[in-house]
Amino acid sequence: MIKKIFSQLHTFVLWALVSALFWSWIFTFVTDTSPDKKVTVYCLTPEIQDTQMAAALEETMPEGLRMIQVHSFDYVMFGVDAFYQGDIFILPASEIENYQELLLPPEDGQNVRIYDAAGGTGAAQTYIAYADEDYYLFLGTGSEHLEDGKALAVARAILNLD
Amino acid sequence: MNGKITELYTDEDLDALQRKIRRLNVFHILLAAGALALCLVLIALTGTANASRMEILVIAVSTLAGWVVLYGQLLTALPCRRELRHARMLRSEEREKVCGVVSVTEERVVIRGSITARRVEIRAGDEVRRALVCESRAGALAGLGEAVLYTAHNYAAAYEVAE
Repeated sequence: MIKKIFSQLHTFVLWALVSALFWSWIFTFVTDTSPDKKVTVYCLTPEIQDTQMAAALEETMPEGLRMIQVHSFDYVMFGVDAFYQGDIFILPASEIENYQELLLPPEDGQNVRIYDAAGGTGAAQTYIAYADEDYYLFLGTGSEHLEDGKALAVARAILNLD
Repeated sequence: MNGKITELYTDEDLDALQRKIRRLNVFHILLAAGALALCLVLIALTGTANASRMEILVIAVSTLAGWVVLYGQLLTALPCRRELRHARMLRSEEREKVCGVVSVTEERVVIRGSITARRVEIRAGDEVRRALVCESRAGALAGLGEAVLYTAHNYAAAYEVAE
């Protein structure tokens, strides 16, 4: 039996590759949707539990959205277009200047501090490991959810996360 | 020689091979359909929190089910289909009659894309004729002794021994 299997080993290996590639491709559709049906959060933090944070935010997801995605800035290597359409950005004070054209203060033109380094207090610390500096939350200028208020609703939900 | 002619492949053998191929095909189709249905159910149950786990699970189900089907089709059903075609050829083609002492050698002849055969020798005095027999039927000719061998395209198809 082993000898028989080895005689067709190339077919078995080929099938495993085809199966992995095909279902990975299918899952790109399952785990993604068009920008109007999702809110995407980008975090420039040393560490982030992206999946758990997205799942927590989906529990209070505004109606009409299909999913919330949370990515670290490393994710930009897979495509810059989605980054420019990002709905929410969380980044340290020292980096704000570098991304100025993408950032929109959420309410009343005021920057919203999500993490206070001096006090060590902030939102979503269960999911985000902040570095030792203040972090701010912004809406994205390219967001499709500025007018319908969904980006703002998710931003408020982030600020309410433990 | 007046004896009973024994076919290496009877009508019942052909039916049995056909039934086996059909059973294997049905089993593999059901297995593939079941695996596909399970994958679709798993995809339907996929959410943000479990996406990566579900992806691995779906790939594992699909790969394992595919391996079972490939194993069954390539290493079980395909040899059966080849043997059936071979058996039909033996039953339908014109035969040659060879008399002598029949013995099956240990030599295996693997014919790519066809059946695996064993070498048969028929000795009549100093003359040795050689033929082939499908490996699954080699046992029927082993230790046959003095007999008449009926061949089609040099494959053993039937034999006759004195009563």
